[in-house]
Amino acid sequence: MAEERKMVNIYIMGKHYKVPYGLTIMKAMEYAGYRFVRGCGCRGGFCGACGTVYRKPGDFRLKVGLACQTMVEDNMYLTQIPFYPANKATYNLEELTPTLSTILQYYPEVTRCLGCNQCTRICPQELKVMDYIAAAQRGDIEKVAHLSFDCIMCGLCASRCPAEIVHYNVAILARRLYGRHIAPPAKHLAKRVEEIKAGKFDEEIQKLMKMNKEELQKLYNARDIEP
Amino acid sequence: MIERIKEISGQNASICMQCGTCSASCTGRDLMDYPPRQVMRMIQLGNQNVLNLKSIWICSTCFICTARCPRGIDIARLMEALRVINLRKGREVLIAEKIPLEILTRVPQMALTSGFRKLSA
Amino acid sequence: MKIPYFPGCTLHSKARGLDETTRGSLAALGVELVELPEWTCCGTVFPLAQDNYIGMVAAARILANAAKMEGGKLATVCSFCYHVLKRVNYAIKNNSEARKKLNDYLEENYGGEIETIHPLEICKEIIGLDAIREKLKRKLKGLKVACYYGCMLVRPAAEMNFDHPENPTIMEELISALGAEVVEYPGKTTCCGSYQVLNDMSLVKQKVKEILYSASARGAEAIITSCPLCQFNLDWMQEKLAEENNGFSKVPVLYFTQLLGLTLGLPEESLRLGEHYVDPKPLLLGA
Repeated sequence: MAEERKMVNIYIMGKHYKVPYGLTIMKAMEYAGYRFVRGCGCRGGFCGACGTVYRKPGDFRLKVGLACQTMVEDNMYLTQIPFYPANKATYNLEELTPTLSTILQYYPEVTRCLGCNQCTRICPQELKVMDYIAAAQRGDIEKVAHLSFDCIMCGLCASRCPAEIVHYNVAILARRLYGRHIAPPAKHLAKRVEEIKAGKFDEEIQKLMKMNKEELQKLYNARDIEP
Repeated sequence: MIERIKEISGQNASICMQCGTCSASCTGRDLMDYPPRQVMRMIQLGNQNVLNLKSIWICSTCFICTARCPRGIDIARLMEALRVINLRKGREVLIAEKIPLEILTRVPQMALTSGFRKLSA
Repeated sequence: MKIPYFPGCTLHSKARGLDETTRGSLAALGVELVELPEWTCCGTVFPLAQDNYIGMVAAARILANAAKMEGGKLATVCSFCYHVLKRVNYAIKNNSEARKKLNDYLEENYGGEIETIHPLEICKEIIGLDAIREKLKRKLKGLKVACYYGCMLVRPAAEMNFDHPENPTIMEELISALGAEVVEYPGKTTCCGSYQVLNDMSLVKQKVKEILYSASARGAEAIITSCPLCQFNLDWMQEKLAEENNGFSKVPVLYFTQLLGLTLGLPEESLRLGEHYVDPKPLLLGA
């Protein structure tokens, strides 16, 4: 006889459910009958679509996590914040300069930062969000790019900001500026592009193009895989 | 309203003796509709219009009125209280989207930080 | 000696000249400024509403972090930063409610021990003007300079405790030691209009005009300040004033540290004299 599964109580948007212990929030919600149309993407902790806010009894502080990565706990109150209707600038990256003026032109609200640190506290990626906004405020684009590198753009920082800053959109502007205008171009990439243009791989491509599906499958399965 | 201004500013406007030193010293007086002395008088009289004056948004909080007031009133704090009452209701004068690009991209960012803190909700 | 240093946002971008000449000059005088490892904007203005504690959080965190370094001091040169750090520190020291709220929020235990110090004070009180005179590589030889303090450095006197609020002389003392001729004029502690440049440029234009005319009429060849916003307003607004007023003669507006750096022989590129709107190079480097 199967051992009885331990169940926990959770409250999804205020409604009580009993779900098996050991599930992620996402799996638990599906167990409870929710079907994800939005607010769910890669299920692997990378896409940032499933930002979730929760609280446990006896703690006034709100906690956050990605629904696909965080385990349910007994008496957890939760809701999903899959999208935040935050300010998002449009620009042509080619025409921009990697300077403070560019940041101020598109996101002048960064200068409204109060230094309350709520963004850093809530970031599920544990980024130093307040520090990269401070760097943005002083025009240090390289620092913003480095500190925000692991941002998955879940939007939870923006949901907490009393100054209505859109941290993740400021950060991606900085990373784009860094990538396009500051970071030195990769030499190995330029070399490979030259090789392709010179026709180094033409013969190999032609060989692949002529293969049938079984031959391709066999070749694919036998490929070198990095450990 | 008078109580609210007193509470936010921590200052008692009723001890003002209307000498006008603040108005004479004020940075923005030429552009104000009512100079600081008259603002003080309006607060004393409980005139609600004091919240709608242009003067409170022209003030650059340079503290010269505060420094020179012979009655020791921190007038800058009273001006701030009048702004704060407006700002907390969402009434603001500095709107980020309306700052001309010529200025936005040139000014030291400290102007934006201070301007937003004083003039935007 | 080493002193912890808070540059401030503007000094890392639009006012690099102020940052580099402050560090460079003090280094040449034997004081190393050690930048805080992590810092945010100080908030720029001191919140005047009694119930606004959130406006002090950023400055309180900076001070608490400075207290974890050695020296018990925090140097900062921007007038806005200096004003806010000094007043927030005063509030933490003297107002038990502010102290408790800020410490609770930040999860710190800071009691206001840090002394915020301005490079002008470092020059006069720690290094000494005589010691500076000895280290000069060149003199300003009678250059007529008007010192402009603006509002944030000196007021309110009880909390700022920075020289005399109506007639400060600390900048004049330094600049005389460098060989300049001090121009006395009435506008040195008036306000340039500050952040109103964003909201009502006519105010700034009027104030800048008064200050410049007052200084020029007394023969000033250059104006010096320690505030990046005063510098910007006084400098940039001259383009507008020149367009509108026939015969308006421009006056270079510099950071006092640029003149200090020049006389101490800092390399020309680190003075960043080319970053101002009114070009000071013909006056300082020409002939």
